[in-house]
Amino acid sequence: MLNYIWISLIVLGILVAAGNDAADEMENTYRNGVPLDVRFEIAKRPTPLRSTWEGTIVLSAAEFNSLYGPGSADSAVDQPATISADGSGRSTVTMAAGPGTPRLWAEMARHAADPGRLAATTPPLNPAAEGTALPLRIVVEPIRFVRLKAVTSAAIDYAAAAVNISIGLIGVMALWLGVMKVAEEAGLLRIITRALTPLTRRLFPDVPPDHPALGAMIMNIAANMLGLNNAATPMGLKAMEELNKLNPRLGTATNAMVTFLAINTGGLVLIPATAIAVRAAAGSANPGIIIGTSIIGSGCATIAGIASSRLLQRLPRYRRQVEADHE
Amino acid sequence: MSEAFRTLVNAAAVVAIPLMFVLFLGWGVVRKVKVYEVFVEGAKEGFATAVRIIPYLVAMLVAIGIFRASGALDLITRLLAPVTSFIGMPPETLAMAFMRPLSGSGSLGVMTELMKVHGADSLIGVMASTMYGSSETTFYVLAVYFGSVGIRNTRHAVPVGLIADAVGMLAAVWVVNLLFR
Repeated sequence: MLNYIWISLIVLGILVAAGNDAADEMENTYRNGVPLDVRFEIAKRPTPLRSTWEGTIVLSAAEFNSLYGPGSADSAVDQPATISADGSGRSTVTMAAGPGTPRLWAEMARHAADPGRLAATTPPLNPAAEGTALPLRIVVEPIRFVRLKAVTSAAIDYAAAAVNISIGLIGVMALWLGVMKVAEEAGLLRIITRALTPLTRRLFPDVPPDHPALGAMIMNIAANMLGLNNAATPMGLKAMEELNKLNPRLGTATNAMVTFLAINTGGLVLIPATAIAVRAAAGSANPGIIIGTSIIGSGCATIAGIASSRLLQRLPRYRRQVEADHE
Repeated sequence: MSEAFRTLVNAAAVVAIPLMFVLFLGWGVVRKVKVYEVFVEGAKEGFATAVRIIPYLVAMLVAIGIFRASGALDLITRLLAPVTSFIGMPPETLAMAFMRPLSGSGSLGVMTELMKVHGADSLIGVMASTMYGSSETTFYVLAVYFGSVGIRNTRHAVPVGLIADAVGMLAAVWVVNLLFR
C-alpha cells in the first residue's frame, strides 16, 4: 500500500502543479505583458556619479486590485523601486520585496528571475521632469510555471532536509543507545518488562515475555507520553532493532512491529507541549485548555490503531506476506 | 484540576531525563557493569542506525514535499469542504487533518496560520490545536522506524496508521464540538 500512496503523492503533486500553472497561464493571473499605470515618488534623482532613480511606487489597493483581481493587495502599495536606463530605449525597474509590497507582487517576486526582486520595464524618465512624483507605465516581467518550479525546488530541498534530519539524529541516538545498553546489561530493562507483562502479553503476543524489545517499547511509549521526543525516537529504534531479531523474514514488517508503530503514530501524549506553546504565542487566554481534548483524541487514535492492526493482520493478503517463508 | 495535572506532568518531564541517567547508569554500577565501556559499545550503533534511515527518509520526504508544493492540498480541501461541514468540522481545519500525517512542520504551520486568522480560543483554533495534539506525523514515523531496520514491505502499517489518524481527527472534531460549541 505504501507503494501506491508514495507514487500517488508524487504523480498527483506534479499533475496538480501542471494544472495550476496551465490555469494561471489561461487566466493570465500574473498579467504577463499587461502595462500598469503607477505613480513614482522620487527620493533621489540621477547624478553625474549615479545614473539610477530611486523612489517609491505608490498605488491605492483599489487600483492595484482592479488590474490584478480582488485580494491581490490588502493595503495601499508602497513599493521601493530603483529605475536604471540600460541604453536600449527602455529602463529597468527593480522592486525588492518588502513590507509595502502587495501580496501578489511578493508572491511573484519569489518566483522572479532574481528571487526576491521583481523586475519591470518602463519608457525612460526625462531627467528634466519637474515635481516630486512622476506618472509611470510599467510592464512587470513575465511570471510562469510557478507551481512546477516550486515542485522542483521542493524535491531538492526535501531530499537535503531528509539527510540533515538523519544526520542530526546521530548524537542523540548514540547517547540513548548507550544508556539503554547499560540498562540492558544491568538487567533493569528486564525488571521493567516483567512489571508490565500482563499488558505487553496482550499487546504483543508474538514477542516472548522477557524479550528486550518489550523493555525498549515500554520506555519509548513512556517517553512519548511525557513528550520527550529526543529520548523517544532512539528508544523506539532500539525496540525496532530488537523486534527485527524476531523477524523470520527480513525486509517485511512483523505483526508486533505494526502494532508498535500504531501506538507511536497514535501519539498518546499527556501534555501536547508544542500545541500549547503555539496557542500561548497566539495570545490564547487559556493555552492548556486542549490538554483534555488532546488526550481524548490521541487516546481514540491509539486504540483505533491497535485494534485495526490486530484486525488487519488477519487479512489473507497480509498473512500471506509473512507466511511465504514457512511454506 | 487541569492546572495541577499540567504542573505534575511538566515536572515529570523535567526530572525524567536526569532521573533516567542516574537510575540506569547507577543501577549499572550497582550490578558491577563496566558502565563506560558498555555505554560506548551501545552508542556505536547510533551512527549506523541514523545513516540507515537516510534513503527511506529521502524517498518519503521528497514525495511529501512535491505534494505540498503543488497546491494539491488546497484542491482536496475545496472538493471535500461540503462533506466535512456535514459532520461539524469547519472546512478550514480540513487542511490540518490532511497535513497532520504527512508533515510535522507543515501541520505546525497550518495550526499557527489558523490561530492567527481565527484566534487561538475560537472553535477553529481550539479544534486545530487539538488535532495537532491528537496524532503524530505518521509517514515520518513510518519512514524512520521501518527504515532503521530495513523494512521495505510495510504490510498493513500504512492502513493502520491512516485509520488511527482518521479516528484521532474525528475524535478531536467530536470532543471539541461537544465541549466548546
